[in-house]
Amino acid sequence: MVQIKKRKKGEPEIPTSSMADIAFLLLLFFLVATVIDVDTGIGLTLPEFVPPEQQEVVPISKERLAAVLINENGDVLLNNEIIAIPQISKSLKPRIESKIELPGNKKLVVSVKTDRKTNYNLYIQALDQIKNAYFDVREAYSLQRFGKRLVDLDEKSDEIKEIREKIPITISIAEPEAIKK
Amino acid sequence: MKFEKKRAATKQSIPTASLPDIVFMLLLFFMVTTTLREVDVLVSFRLPEAKAIEKIENKRLVSYIWIGQDGKIQVNDSLTKLEEVQKIMYAKRVSLPNVIVSLRVDKNSDMGVVTDIQQELRKASCLRINYSTLLKI
Repeated sequence: MVQIKKRKKGEPEIPTSSMADIAFLLLLFFLVATVIDVDTGIGLTLPEFVPPEQQEVVPISKERLAAVLINENGDVLLNNEIIAIPQISKSLKPRIESKIELPGNKKLVVSVKTDRKTNYNLYIQALDQIKNAYFDVREAYSLQRFGKRLVDLDEKSDEIKEIREKIPITISIAEPEAIKK
Repeated sequence: MKFEKKRAATKQSIPTASLPDIVFMLLLFFMVTTTLREVDVLVSFRLPEAKAIEKIENKRLVSYIWIGQDGKIQVNDSLTKLEEVQKIMYAKRVSLPNVIVSLRVDKNSDMGVVTDIQQELRKASCLRINYSTLLKI
C-alpha cells in the first residue's frame, strides 16, 4: 500500500498586519466627515398668534417698560434717548437689578421694535446686549446669594429656579408698523 | 580597558498587536458621534455674531429655516415661498410638539423678512425659536 503522506499544514492565520491600516483609513474618513457643530444662538419664545379682532391692549406702566427702537439707519432709541448699541447692556442692568425683589408682575419688560428695513445684524447685536444684561445680573445674584457661578449650578436645582423666578427674561418683540393694520 | 554598552534584555520594539483595537475604538467613537449632513443648504448666508448665546441641547428637536442673502427661504431641503412656511411648520409642529425652530438668517438681511417668518411661525404655533449666531470672540 502506498502510504499517502499527509502534508503538514501550518496553522491557519489571517494576516492581521494590515488591519491597523484599514482601520486608520476608516477612522480618517469619519474624522473628515464629522461635523461636531453645536447649535448656538439666542433663544426666544414668540407670543401666541391672536387674530387682530381678539387682540387686547394691556397697558404697561412706564416704570417697568424698557423700549428699544432700532430704525433703518441703525440708530437706537432706549426710552426715547439715543444710545449706542454697546451701551444698552450697561444702561439696562441697574433697572433689572432694582426690580429683583419686586413681585412678578412688576418686573422689567424689554420691548424690541424694529423697522422692516432694519439690518438683521443690528437687531441681533441689540438682542445680544439685552440678554447680556440679564445674564450679568443673574450671575451677580447667583454669586452673592449662593456663592456659586451660574454655570456651576445644576439645571434642575432650586437655586436656578429661584434665579429664574427673581430675574425672568422678558423680551417682547413688537411687530413693525407695516404689519399692523 | 574595554567598555561594553549596557543593553536592556527586553525587545526593542513597540508592541503593535493591540493597535487595531485602539484604532477601532476611536473609529467606533467617531461613527457613533457623526451625524452626516442630511440636507443641502441651497442659500448662501453668513451668520451674525453674538456673545450671550446658549446651546441647544437637544438636537432632535431642532428644525431649521434658512434665509439667504438674496432673501430666499429654505425649509427642510428645498426653497419655499413665504406662504408655504406656515403649512410646513404646522405639520412639523404636529409631529414634534416641542420643536425649536432655528433661524439661520444672513446677517445682512432686512428685518422685514424675519418678521414675516416669525408671523408665519406664530400662526403655525411654533413659538420656540432660536436665532442662530456664532460666538463673538
